[in-house]
Amino acid sequence: MNHMPENRVDKIVADLLRGRRLKLRGGDAEEKAAITAAARLAGTRQGPQRMHPEFRKRLSRALEDTPEEGWVTRRAALVAGLGLAAGAAGGAFFGRAMEPKAVVKAGEPINPVNGRWIDVAAMSDLVEGQGKHVVAGSVGAFLFRRGDSVTAVSSICSHLPCELWWDRKGANLACPCHPATFNSDGRSTDPYGPPPLNTVHVRLTSAGRVEVLGTE
Amino acid sequence: MSTEQPAGDQADVLELPATPRATDIALNELELVYAFIYARVGNRADTEDLTQQVAMKAIPRLREGAPASAIRGYLFATARSVLGGFWSTRLGLSEAELREDLAMAIPPGPPSEEGAETVQLILAQLSDNYRRVLQLRFLHGYSLKEVAAEMNSTVGAIKVMQLRALRAAAKVRLGE
Repeated sequence: MNHMPENRVDKIVADLLRGRRLKLRGGDAEEKAAITAAARLAGTRQGPQRMHPEFRKRLSRALEDTPEEGWVTRRAALVAGLGLAAGAAGGAFFGRAMEPKAVVKAGEPINPVNGRWIDVAAMSDLVEGQGKHVVAGSVGAFLFRRGDSVTAVSSICSHLPCELWWDRKGANLACPCHPATFNSDGRSTDPYGPPPLNTVHVRLTSAGRVEVLGTE
Repeated sequence: MSTEQPAGDQADVLELPATPRATDIALNELELVYAFIYARVGNRADTEDLTQQVAMKAIPRLREGAPASAIRGYLFATARSVLGGFWSTRLGLSEAELREDLAMAIPPGPPSEEGAETVQLILAQLSDNYRRVLQLRFLHGYSLKEVAAEMNSTVGAIKVMQLRALRAAAKVRLGE
């Protein structure tokens, strides 16, 4: 009878009330609202929690061992298409051996190392005023049609390594990680918001195909 | 103001406090991050893992000399990102699919004091039966059987009521 949602959610509630780790499985997404609410009630019922001294010590030691400069950040690596999928588990930074030219500043175009033009869509698939998410190897982008031309911006937020999504209602790109939204030209909708998104090289072929400079 | 110079070589040295390092400030701020995450995942083991992830992601990128407020802002933005990743991985959903529930799991606003009163605020917006079942289960730690006895009902009916009450609680917005 465990497949009944009330049984499954009660098992999760019981685990939470015993202080156990959240162990979820396929199908639990159906009850995501109830599960996140249960976690929240369990998490706030005893007031704000503090770190255990042992964990604080462990954390402090880990921080002491963390390098502080000269490393390519995960976001920079994602934006530049260094072969790491957005959302994939991974460290916060990569080795110093990374190609330094791969790191691009906010708003600048992405020139992937060993970049290649990748066919991503037909021009006829693009709707004026609507962003279309495409992937060219490890470069993610949103395409925007303006009449007979097309532009592209990176699908990675300019602040954190988070994959943006197209908000049809607001007609802008929204970050799932924090309250940041961007116009189709990559500028933040908030004048005090994060820097602009990186642009992505895009071209239109004579056959009406859209190609993005990405990676294999 | 008079100053007395002690005799000999044993002069008192006024130790000026050193400028706190970004990592030291961050470690203190991480206490708030820990509480913030705990209030959303509800257990210590996951909270420790996620707090450590926040620290390892954010701290190498903190600038020395950055004010505590900037460090806090950056740590909390990272915490929201890490929580988004946590829920999307555990539930097997993309972060875009999760976004409807981000307000519950990952509030967009600045952190605020959270605690037992948050639970009361959520419960206050539910119907009497839903509030009672969640109060007994979460605040008093009753088993389903005990809740059923208290509410003159059956375990099966209470389980269904608990699920519906949690769904209703998920819809409560506390001005975040």
